[in-house]
Amino acid sequence: MTIKLIGYPISTPTLRVVICLKELGIPYEFEPPASFQALKDKDYIANKHAFGKIPVLLDGDYVINESRAICRYLVSKYQGKYNDTILIPSDVHKAGLVEQFISYESCYYDSPVSKIIGQEVFAKKFRGKDPDPEIIKQGREDLSKVLDVYEKLLEGKEYLIGEFSLADIFHCPCTNLAYGIAAHSDLWDNRPNVKNWWNNLRNRDCIKKSFEEVKN
Amino acid sequence: MSIKLIGFPSSGPLLRVIITLRELGLPYELEIPANIQAIKEEDYIKNKHPFGKIPVLIDGDFVINESRPICTYLVSKYQGKHNNTNLIPSDVHKAGLVGQYVSYESSYYDPPISTIIYQEIYSKKFHNKDPDPEVVKQAREELAKVLDVYEKILEGKEYLNGEYSIADIFHIPSTHYVYGIDAHSDLWDSRPNVKNWWNRLYNREAVKKTFDEIKN
Repeated sequence: MTIKLIGYPISTPTLRVVICLKELGIPYEFEPPASFQALKDKDYIANKHAFGKIPVLLDGDYVINESRAICRYLVSKYQGKYNDTILIPSDVHKAGLVEQFISYESCYYDSPVSKIIGQEVFAKKFRGKDPDPEIIKQGREDLSKVLDVYEKLLEGKEYLIGEFSLADIFHCPCTNLAYGIAAHSDLWDNRPNVKNWWNNLRNRDCIKKSFEEVKN
Repeated sequence: MSIKLIGFPSSGPLLRVIITLRELGLPYELEIPANIQAIKEEDYIKNKHPFGKIPVLIDGDFVINESRPICTYLVSKYQGKHNNTNLIPSDVHKAGLVGQYVSYESSYYDPPISTIIYQEIYSKKFHNKDPDPEVVKQAREELAKVLDVYEKILEGKEYLNGEYSIADIFHIPSTHYVYGIDAHSDLWDSRPNVKNWWNRLYNREAVKKTFDEIKN
């Protein structure tokens, strides 16, 4: 039975899972929900996601939600089964560092990027409001400090722990949206190691393909 | 060589790691930084935590930071070595659900509870400001909705995933702080499943010992 992924391509958490599925070579079916309202239905809350969110992954009878948890599950079950791509190394110390960088993404990187894309991408589209320049300015300042740290962390490295890993994937969806806005690509392009890292990521086959899906 | 843990004794993230170390039966040494300034110094930033935070764990030559990755690393390296306590099941589906509940803690539970902690404990202590009642009220309402979901999740279960796991541990320090404020213990006590869950956690040996230590 094929894996089923419930979500929207424009949703950054959904896109994390899409990239992970593609990188591991796992076949899957994509099922957008009928509507936003459908996520709050009693049945969805009881059987898919207790907080009424996406993405949700169905693997046979097994239901799992929350994008980072879904990706870790896919790696632990399917890594090495369809291709040779390693997203979490078997070495316990390297795996520990992957988790550390995953924590950097959710604790330090995600919030300022989300401030920017929340205004530039989602405010008009979902709330009918113009972007708030103050929030964007704050987001840029906060993100600049984070990217200054990343510039040092990426010295002599192609990816966050050296080799490509799940930690890099988790950064991709929201970076894709923010970098795609002309006024903000400087944040990455002004920092040579960060620029190099982002270029490595967005030129990977599976990631390129996943970003195409967002455009359509 | 003994495991070394760096952090301030009453820090919530540090307590996650201490509880995990105790549950796994792992000896360790705690090194308390001289002051907040010490963790912003160049040497600390370069060699311990690039964002100038605690906790940091040093295991021989291996340095890892961020509380949740530290705990996951400790489990993957030492689970079953000093005792029989299982914090992440070996079954890939059960482990996946533990990861899902870990994500619930950081996505939904932690934000409102951290707001309450900041208002009720840190504001006065570190900034000499009184708690803002509007902010506290808003955070209580948000946490109440989360706990309504937990009340259903915990139906017929002793712990979030049935058996005790790292997902339960991650909830403990912040819950201890807010539950300990008289005005807020009702949030847990008024929900029977949540109340039982919290009492069970609070009465575990490793947890009791950890909280006794910070009283002194």
